[in-house]
Amino acid sequence: MAEGSSTATGTLLTTSGWNLASFRLIPRIETYPKVVAFAQTLAGKLILLALFGAGLYVGGQAAVPLTVCLAVMTFVPLTRRLLLTLCTLAFAFLLPWFYGRVPLSLLVTTVQVLVLAGILFWSAAQWPHSFYGRRPLLFLFSLFWLILLWAVLLPPGATASPLFWRFIFIFGNYIWFIGFSLLDAKATAHDDFGRQVGAYLPFWGSSNTPFPKGSAYLRQIEAQNAEQLAITQLKGLKLLAWSLLLLLAFRFMTFAVHGYLQVPTFPEALRLSANRMPLPWYTCWQALLYSFFTGLLSLSIIGHRFIACCRMAGFNALRNTYRPLSSVTVAQFFNRYYFYFKELLLDFFFYPTFLRYFKKHKNLRMAFAIFAAAGFGNALYHFMLSPDFIRKLGFWKALVTFQVYLFYCVLLSIGLTISNLRKKRPKPAGFLRSGLWPSISVVLFYCLLDVFGSTERNYPLVEHFRFFAHLFSINL
Amino acid sequence: MDHKIAIRQFVRELLDNKGDDKPLNDDSHLLTSGRLDSVDAVQIVVMLEEKFAVDFAQIGFDQTMIDSIDAIDSIVRSAQAEETAEPLLKHGK
Repeated sequence: MAEGSSTATGTLLTTSGWNLASFRLIPRIETYPKVVAFAQTLAGKLILLALFGAGLYVGGQAAVPLTVCLAVMTFVPLTRRLLLTLCTLAFAFLLPWFYGRVPLSLLVTTVQVLVLAGILFWSAAQWPHSFYGRRPLLFLFSLFWLILLWAVLLPPGATASPLFWRFIFIFGNYIWFIGFSLLDAKATAHDDFGRQVGAYLPFWGSSNTPFPKGSAYLRQIEAQNAEQLAITQLKGLKLLAWSLLLLLAFRFMTFAVHGYLQVPTFPEALRLSANRMPLPWYTCWQALLYSFFTGLLSLSIIGHRFIACCRMAGFNALRNTYRPLSSVTVAQFFNRYYFYFKELLLDFFFYPTFLRYFKKHKNLRMAFAIFAAAGFGNALYHFMLSPDFIRKLGFWKALVTFQVYLFYCVLLSIGLTISNLRKKRPKPAGFLRSGLWPSISVVLFYCLLDVFGSTERNYPLVEHFRFFAHLFSINL
Repeated sequence: MDHKIAIRQFVRELLDNKGDDKPLNDDSHLLTSGRLDSVDAVQIVVMLEEKFAVDFAQIGFDQTMIDSIDAIDSIVRSAQAEETAEPLLKHGK
């Protein structure tokens, strides 16, 4: 995720007179001393905030409350972390209450979950050498599954049932954020719980995957002076602009490919295949490629928005998606496609496994840790993402309908293991052999993997295999 | 001080492999700046285990611990200090 290169760099041609490699669609304004100096003045800050607010508005986000929060953090940088917590709490409680979008009972449950998080964090920090202090994550996830099991075993009409499920939904939303806090609690110089809360579904937006990781990471990347803040904010503005350009590309692609050329989406093509009315194989390829690229664009747009706001708040976070199409290995693509999800898998599953097991067997050690992260961790994350399925179907049926994604996790782990264990060969000469062909192969791998990558639960694995075979004109 | 040179050399090699020829200071951020990625982090971990007998399973691990040459150096120093203290403790028993 190197940030040295800008968001839109041409990389193809290099001629003696005109260097396309240095061409940038969005100039690197954060490297212009005059711009950086201006961004530190009152007028500069106001212009930056106005431009950023306008960008948020165009992108369809809650522009006003976000800009207000960012303005407060820009003008009172010394209390940035306290303000982050206050803004995050305002977005969690005040805004939904103000707009009347969320029932009061959900807000009360959120408070209960935060209290539980506080107790867990405090205990882990207080007793780091106890059994719990050494394995706080194990305890956290066991607690979640115990509550879930309890809810599943309750009789259907039980009065406590809605309370349990509400708690599980909210707990599930916060669990990875709490996990990062518990990891930080082990550090000698950890943040207090007040600061940790600022990173729990922060006001700049986040999925269940913490953007960008937890409080410990924010501590590392916080701007330390006015110049760093100006540079970080300029990078944030650039990233928002890039996200808007990608949004335009996304809309054009949807209009042109899906609307005008009538290329179906992958779920549509899969549905027809499952209903024994398969589209021609080449249309299935079109559908798969279309879904792959729209998925990539959507993730980039949303991730860039979150990180742009995070940077505008004074935290120089790395981008979530960084030039994935130029990846030349499967592992590199995984690192560049959804960076913060990959970081989550690393911190919660890969490192704990890698550092403990099979230390004397180099390859086995790596393979086992990759399976723990990309296989087990990935599956666990997505299974926990939708407790509603467990509520409706019961545990075993929910697990059975999850078979396709489980298979995806196994394939992904195999791909990543091979990619990591392959011995590095000298880079072949020429752009085609060293850059283009490996990149196309990697994209093709992930495209084909996407046949099994959806978390929809309507069709069993065999239907996904049928679709996969049909791509090669084999009709099962 | 020798180990710091070895660490610097190792990190420099990782950066060179990525085509990163920017200057490297001992306090330069390596992972949080994006100059190195998680694959490189794993290589640093293995190097610390093999060359300096650092046991992360014992001391705990997060990526910020190896985010700069200074940070890596301090891990090696505390690991070596522990190694020297251990026989003394055993002797004390």
